[in-house]
Amino acid sequence: MDGSEARKTKIEVRNLTKRFGDLLVLDEISFNVGEGEFLSIVGPTGCGKTTFLNTLSKLIPSTAGDIFIDGEIADPKKHHLSFVFQEPTCMPWRTVRENVAYGMEVKHVPKVEMEKKLDQIMGMVGLSDCAGLYPNQISASMLQRIAVARAFAVNPDLLLMDEPYGQLDVKLRYYLEDELVRLWEHLKSTVIFVTHNIEEAVYISERILILSNKPAKIKAEVKVDLPRPRSLIDPRLVEIRKEVTELIRWW
Amino acid sequence: MAYEQVKVKTPLILRLLPILSIITFFGTWQLVVDWEIVPSTMLASPIQIFQLFLVKWTEVNPDGALLSQHIWTSVQEAFTGYLLALLVGIPLGLAMGWFIVVEGLSRPIFEMIRPIPPVAWIPLVIFWFGIGISGKVFIIWIGGIVPCVINSYEGVRMTNPTLIQMARTYGATDWQIFKQICIPSALPMVFGALQIALACCWTNLVAAELLAADVGLGFLITMGRKLALPDMVLLGMIMIGLTGVVIGVVINYFEKRLLAGIRR
Repeated sequence: MDGSEARKTKIEVRNLTKRFGDLLVLDEISFNVGEGEFLSIVGPTGCGKTTFLNTLSKLIPSTAGDIFIDGEIADPKKHHLSFVFQEPTCMPWRTVRENVAYGMEVKHVPKVEMEKKLDQIMGMVGLSDCAGLYPNQISASMLQRIAVARAFAVNPDLLLMDEPYGQLDVKLRYYLEDELVRLWEHLKSTVIFVTHNIEEAVYISERILILSNKPAKIKAEVKVDLPRPRSLIDPRLVEIRKEVTELIRWW
Repeated sequence: MAYEQVKVKTPLILRLLPILSIITFFGTWQLVVDWEIVPSTMLASPIQIFQLFLVKWTEVNPDGALLSQHIWTSVQEAFTGYLLALLVGIPLGLAMGWFIVVEGLSRPIFEMIRPIPPVAWIPLVIFWFGIGISGKVFIIWIGGIVPCVINSYEGVRMTNPTLIQMARTYGATDWQIFKQICIPSALPMVFGALQIALACCWTNLVAAELLAADVGLGFLITMGRKLALPDMVLLGMIMIGLTGVVIGVVINYFEKRLLAGIRR
């Protein structure tokens, strides 16, 4: 893994395997993620990406293998994990600001520190103006921003994202992807971003892991060593996109 | 806020028709009695009932209490039972929806008691409590607790599972998830239970009073029957209906206020 040689290894996934009865979904997946790295995982539809994330985040137990954060077995109660789901996860009875604060509340972050962090992060994602509104009063892209802001606010050891922008239109997606990259550059979190959108993966990440068809294994690894800000029509980016597309082809 | 309240006018016909139907109903009723189509020993006319209604505010006889005492007693009994039902039923239902142990322990007993009509408890209750207020409160409580438990339970069960997963990934404990996600999410269903439980309580109250009481609106009906006074029976019935409507309106008002408070 030459991409992460220079930095400290933050996340270590060893022989992660998941079976539902006889169905093998994840087949001994092993990889490392460096501290502050932005890693994307792409794979054909139905290859078990969501199962992969759910197992990584400890939402469902793995059949074998485990995930280590700083050398310890990951535990949501001890480590700071964040998960941004495909669908927006806003509590309709909380204001935007209270929704963003939720992760920090669970972790009992002191009040003063929490308010400071909220001010900072709400400003960065452009939610300050609607802080006092309720989720049913704002648009769908705003809802997903709440989830992203909430996830970054807890200074996560590992931030998992499951196609967070899959349901948005192209223009909004580009906009939110830029915003995500800005947040990540600024807050230096370790991110695993799962998507089926190859262009999105190449545009935002430092390294891409390509999963095979079910049972999912790591088929290949592609480094995206391009300077930022990136351009979608940069010939080097297009080249990498083609490379990934070739690797992912299942037809 | 950019949202403006849009006023929708009720069409004239929808405002006139209810008035027309009420006038026709009471008019026909009055005529049926006046023309002696139905003998006055079997049915009292609306005017007679209204006269009795006015008299009963100041006249204790023949049933032994003023109308206000009957109403007040019934309302007291109903609300005591109702509040106790909310106090026990809602926490129990919420806990049943989230904690497997609570559900496992209380479900079988709850399912056994649920199909027994509250009225069936009356004989036992008379043995236990006599005809005082506590026995009636018990019957009302038994009737009111069922919708509280069911609605609260369903409310927790309907919590968006992604919200629960989200809380779990942040390391929330079971208790935190219950308190911060499940309960707020169940609140609209719980408020729904307020209305349903009240209707159950009010119905059961009358049933309880019909059999064992010395004052109350149900008792007024019983006395009317014993004394062969159809106007008294009807007055009791109408007062039960009217008081129920008033209580329903009050609860509805509070429900709206509470729901607006949590903005869904």
